[in-house]
Amino acid sequence: MLRAGARFGREAAQRPILLFEDVYKSYRPGAPVLRGMNLVIERGEFVFFTGSSGAGKSTLLRLLYRAETVDEGRILFMGRDVARLTPDSVPFLRRNIGCVFQDFKLVHSWSVYENVAITLEVLGLPQRLVRARVGEALDRVGLSGRGGDPAGVLSGGEQQRIAVARAIVGEPALLLADEPTGNLDPQLAIDILGLFEEIHEAGTTVIFATHDRSLLEIQPRRVVVLDNGKAIDVRSGISSPGQTDFDNELPV
Amino acid sequence: MLDLSNATTRRAKRGLQREWRLHALSVFSLSVAFVCLAASLLVVTNLQAVEERWAHAGRASIYLRDDATSADVAQLREALGKVPGVTKVKYVSSGQAREQFAKDDDPNGTLAALPAEAFPASIELEVRSDVTDDALTDMVTKLQRLPAVDDVETYQAWTTRLARLVRGGVAASAVLAVVVLLSVLAVVGSTMRFALQRRRGEVEVLRLVGATDRFVKAPFLIEGSLQGALGAAFAVVLLGFLFVLVRGRLDGDLALLIGVEPSFLPWQFVLGMVALGGVLGATAAALGLRRLVTV
Repeated sequence: MLRAGARFGREAAQRPILLFEDVYKSYRPGAPVLRGMNLVIERGEFVFFTGSSGAGKSTLLRLLYRAETVDEGRILFMGRDVARLTPDSVPFLRRNIGCVFQDFKLVHSWSVYENVAITLEVLGLPQRLVRARVGEALDRVGLSGRGGDPAGVLSGGEQQRIAVARAIVGEPALLLADEPTGNLDPQLAIDILGLFEEIHEAGTTVIFATHDRSLLEIQPRRVVVLDNGKAIDVRSGISSPGQTDFDNELPV
Repeated sequence: MLDLSNATTRRAKRGLQREWRLHALSVFSLSVAFVCLAASLLVVTNLQAVEERWAHAGRASIYLRDDATSADVAQLREALGKVPGVTKVKYVSSGQAREQFAKDDDPNGTLAALPAEAFPASIELEVRSDVTDDALTDMVTKLQRLPAVDDVETYQAWTTRLARLVRGGVAASAVLAVVVLLSVLAVVGSTMRFALQRRRGEVEVLRLVGATDRFVKAPFLIEGSLQGALGAAFAVVLLGFLFVLVRGRLDGDLALLIGVEPSFLPWQFVLGMVALGGVLGATAAALGLRRLVTV
């Protein structure tokens, strides 16, 4: 069973953090969103998932945190088949995955502190420890001293920072971001991306789903394009010689 | 098991504060249901006390014929004094009976014209409380054969009627208990489902950060349990208030009529009802939350 804070052996540490094997998923018969998708993501990577609307970016992320299950194939997270986890094990999977969404998914009537602390409270950590770690997380996202404010009154950019703090406070192995900049203006989007870069620098594996091409060009990163239900692995960075031509690979 | 961590109690408190109107309405509805049950229990408890009082009254009145002579009465008194279990034998003449009636029940003298036969002379017996109904009946049968005796009243018919009333009251209480159970399930279940709808976002967030079912449900169970317990407690307080009000006006007359002081529900009943409310509330909440929001 996956548990937050679990110690993994050397063998487990050498496995890729994520492995997609021939993954199929469809919501309507004859119209699969993913059709035989294969992909490997190593620990510590920063990967952009991109593609046009409806390409399956969100579906892919939902399959990862078990909001959906694959029709065929399998997704291995740290060597475990996500679809085969029992319902009782799903919460423990999610404690290892931090999620950030376009619509923030905050509880507006809660304070900033409460929105972040809930990640640790579900683990049953003592309040003293929760306070210290929430303080650190808020500091990392630039919301130090704002813990007592109601989350609903903060700006969009600040609310997204709360969501990021909530996602990272449990020190997850994997951070998923589903269009996290979709509701933000370009400058705030770059700020939020910078935040994810910092989190990645600290060793967290990050999957960042976006259709905003301008974000992909800021720094050379691995880019996976979802097109026609399959993943096409390309490299970003216009000035990186020897890599796949990004502009030719990306669907317009 | 219920998760009673700080986060759970805080979420329950916040839920109660945010949805206080909804919860207050729910508590009020439950109070109405519990008042019916508590009132029924109150009546049964007092009827039982009256039955107990009269079942062990240890009294009998032997009404004498009008033609009974002084010698007959003296002989009868002497014989009765020797019967095992009889503790007191008192002769009440026709004149004394009329006097007593005028003093206790007819101070205005409106029934002063009643004929002398209306107040027959009697011998009032007091028997030990451990004398069984069978022994008393046996004695009555023997007494009724005596020529000087007209009739014997042991109040057994009265206690039999009371026992029937108590049984009826218990049956009514059982029916009301079922009604209360159904009301609690309906009211708390609906309240919880409504609260869950209003807090769907919160549940979604909890699911995303890896909360277990137990963690998600715990505050709703606490809220349901509190609703049930508060509903029962308010019902008891309301009934207590009404009881004090009614007793203040009727106390003397009622005690004279039924022979015992009316009393409120024993504290064990009160505690039991509040606990029952709590358990029913939590159960209703759990049933109402069977289908949780899934992410």
